[in-house]
Amino acid sequence: MTALLDIKNYRLDIGTFDGPVHVLKGINLTVNRGDTLGIVGESGSGKTVLVRSVLGIGPRNSKVVEGSISFDGQDITNLPEKDWTKIRGIRISMIFQDPMTYLNPLFTIGRQISDVIAAHEKAAGQGVSSKAARRARTEELLDQVGLPNPSMLYSQYPHQLSGGMRQRILIAMALAGKPDILIADEPTTALDVTVQAQVLDLINSLVEKLNLTVIMISHDIGAIATVAKRCAVMYKGEIVEQGMTQDILNRPQHEYTQRLLAAVPDIDVPPERVAAEVAEAKPAKRGNLLEAIDLKKVYRTQAGADFTAVNSISLAVKTGEIFGVVGESGSGKSTLARMLMRLIEPTSGDIIFDGQNISGLSGEPLRQMRRHMQFVFQNPHSALNGRHTIGDAIGEPLRIQTNMSRRDIEARAEALLDIVQLPKMFKYRYPHELSGGQKQRVCIARAIALNPRLLILDEPTSALDISVQAQVLDFLQELRSELNLTYVFISHNLAVIRQICDRTIVMKRGEIVEQGDTEQIFLAPREEYTKALIESGRKTSQAANLQA
Amino acid sequence: MLTFAFRKLLTLVGTMIGIAALTFLITNVAPGDPARLVAGPNATEDMVATIRTEYGLDKSLPEQFIVYMGELVRGDLGTSIVTTRPVLEEVMRYAPATLELVFVAMFLGIVIGVPLGMLSAVYKDGPLDQVTRIFSISGVAIPAFWFGILLQLLFSVDLEWLPVSGRLPLVTRPPEFVTGLLLVDSLIAGNFSTFWTSLQHIILPAIVLSFPCLASILRVNRAEMIEVLQSDYIVAARAHGISSFRIIALYALKNAMLPTLAMIGLRFGWMLGSTVLVETVFDWPGIGLYAVSSALSSDFKPVVGVTLMIGFFFIVANTLVDLAYAWIDPRLRKA
Repeated sequence: MTALLDIKNYRLDIGTFDGPVHVLKGINLTVNRGDTLGIVGESGSGKTVLVRSVLGIGPRNSKVVEGSISFDGQDITNLPEKDWTKIRGIRISMIFQDPMTYLNPLFTIGRQISDVIAAHEKAAGQGVSSKAARRARTEELLDQVGLPNPSMLYSQYPHQLSGGMRQRILIAMALAGKPDILIADEPTTALDVTVQAQVLDLINSLVEKLNLTVIMISHDIGAIATVAKRCAVMYKGEIVEQGMTQDILNRPQHEYTQRLLAAVPDIDVPPERVAAEVAEAKPAKRGNLLEAIDLKKVYRTQAGADFTAVNSISLAVKTGEIFGVVGESGSGKSTLARMLMRLIEPTSGDIIFDGQNISGLSGEPLRQMRRHMQFVFQNPHSALNGRHTIGDAIGEPLRIQTNMSRRDIEARAEALLDIVQLPKMFKYRYPHELSGGQKQRVCIARAIALNPRLLILDEPTSALDISVQAQVLDFLQELRSELNLTYVFISHNLAVIRQICDRTIVMKRGEIVEQGDTEQIFLAPREEYTKALIESGRKTSQAANLQA
Repeated sequence: MLTFAFRKLLTLVGTMIGIAALTFLITNVAPGDPARLVAGPNATEDMVATIRTEYGLDKSLPEQFIVYMGELVRGDLGTSIVTTRPVLEEVMRYAPATLELVFVAMFLGIVIGVPLGMLSAVYKDGPLDQVTRIFSISGVAIPAFWFGILLQLLFSVDLEWLPVSGRLPLVTRPPEFVTGLLLVDSLIAGNFSTFWTSLQHIILPAIVLSFPCLASILRVNRAEMIEVLQSDYIVAARAHGISSFRIIALYALKNAMLPTLAMIGLRFGWMLGSTVLVETVFDWPGIGLYAVSSALSSDFKPVVGVTLMIGFFFIVANTLVDLAYAWIDPRLRKA
């Protein structure tokens, strides 16, 4: 039997100002009919470029240097654009990472799907069927991906739907041509834990029902393991290891794979630190550094209705602890975090920082207060001004809040770079010259520049690769004991929360569902919602799959 | 969508009141005593005082404002000193000519600017893109009056293809008044030779008026298209097998049209203002020319009347743009 997809010694360069960059370096990969193949790799490993080349939608300025891709016996390496119309979306189709941005915002769901159907009919040479026929087919597809009420969805717009629903719609579009191969590019990365599990289940059921061949790429080994029987590991444009997924997870051969697997936080393993902390003998009754009393935020929607983002939340963060806030998107955790710093005005309630009620402060006293509490944002790529050097970025809080001389600020910035374990010379660099992990370290350096007592970290590792995430988490823990910091740590990733937080609150729709000692919550969750959350986290948790 | 339109109409009324207040204030802070201006240089103090009472200029500013607004609501824009006819009547007589000119210019700007911008984006940095770049820079840079004279010299004086100025030759009878737009009215009357004549007259001033507008529409549309073509949903549409033409002309263009529409709205107002220059160069009998001649003879009320009229058209145009926005973008309909 010939392979459905055969990639032979495929090398691809992308032309840049500084000459060609070797993005893919001799890829060999075969996919047989009925296969489920996973490709694991971190950002920049070339996995997206590889699968897009299979569809002929690789990046501009790219050039195939060597090798070939053949699909069902046909060489598609340099296929002219008009021949692609018979393959693209029909025989090979694709679903994408972020369902929020991959649907055209100005067209209805029905219009977008039936356009795809029409395009396929045209490519097949048959006349385009009637609008009603296409509508019927669209609704059938929507039903197939488990969306309720297809006839209503038909005339709705993307912005009216949730992320999970949009991902299902993208899957429906991909299935419109009854494809031989379905390529899934990080299909769960942008989704909430519970939704991730549902989408993976859907893909699995479709593989079974439609006898699909699936290539799924992800940086999330857990997601790969849930779907793919075979698996390839990509690193810097090469496939360093491939084989059965179980084998690779249990006995990783390549040094990179071993490193990657070791970095994965494990939802089912209690962190070592717990034991260490108990031995440390807790200081007698630590006081509360930050308290929120009956905090509430109500937004008025355009329609005039009230939307309660955060509803009567009371919490107390003790000095020196890591306080976790976990919840799915829309649960109000970011609103809460911003209110604690008064970046968002609470509708009602009090915030008490170190014994002082800061909810009524304004002007200079508030500004003074802010130096004691700093914020680290989720996405380090957008949290740094691209036109400021790293030195400027780190020095900024010092310039605003202190009267230090320029020389002193520079010296302090160097010292801070040292604390976050980056070379001093980085102060002359610009953000785009740094990797994601390095940028996040710079953001942390900026946040600790004023020696704050409290750091609020809003998903500080979500935008980072797994191995980088592990480094940043370790580093944050070191930093805390070194500088005597208190953290409020927000995450949707339960494994991460378990690894580093002392106490945790679980949020849902603006309210606290459960709170308490982190280990307690993970070992014996009291509420149904918490149980469900941990269960779906476990389902995709890489670790769970390792033992399967 | 209906409530959205209604709310937009309410803002329209509000903005109109604002403009009226602003013109009132500006005319009152402008130097010079209006009563003395009206009375003329040789008037005695008594005459000035009489006129001041007659025009209500002896009352306090708020009182004057209320009177002024009351008149506006009743459609009374005052009387022109030179022609002694009501300003509203005169403005209404001249407005169609200006609107016709602006419509034709805007039509040219959109019909040429949008596709050229689209093509420049698709063939970015290609020969066409370079040509349109030079074209649009000159469009923004060349002063309208100079460009107008240049075109007149070439097409009317040297080549004698097109008339130098005016709206219709004196010998031609204008078609029966329906909309006041000669191109439309002559078509309604079935008079094609008049249509052709008025088209010949309007083409040069319309080109001059539309050139800067065309240039900016082109550039905005190009920039937006480039950005939209890189967006994720365009990649997805390609991956789903939608044809390139459909992606560019429908999927991408609709998204790129949003900022272009905003530019069109802004340029509409700019055009109404520019008619003052263009109408003077081409002796086009519109409100721009009317305002200039009134200003030259210190006739005060017509200038205010024209300002209000231009403001009114501008707001109406932008309300239409807002509605078009909501029509295109479903996310705005709730707002």
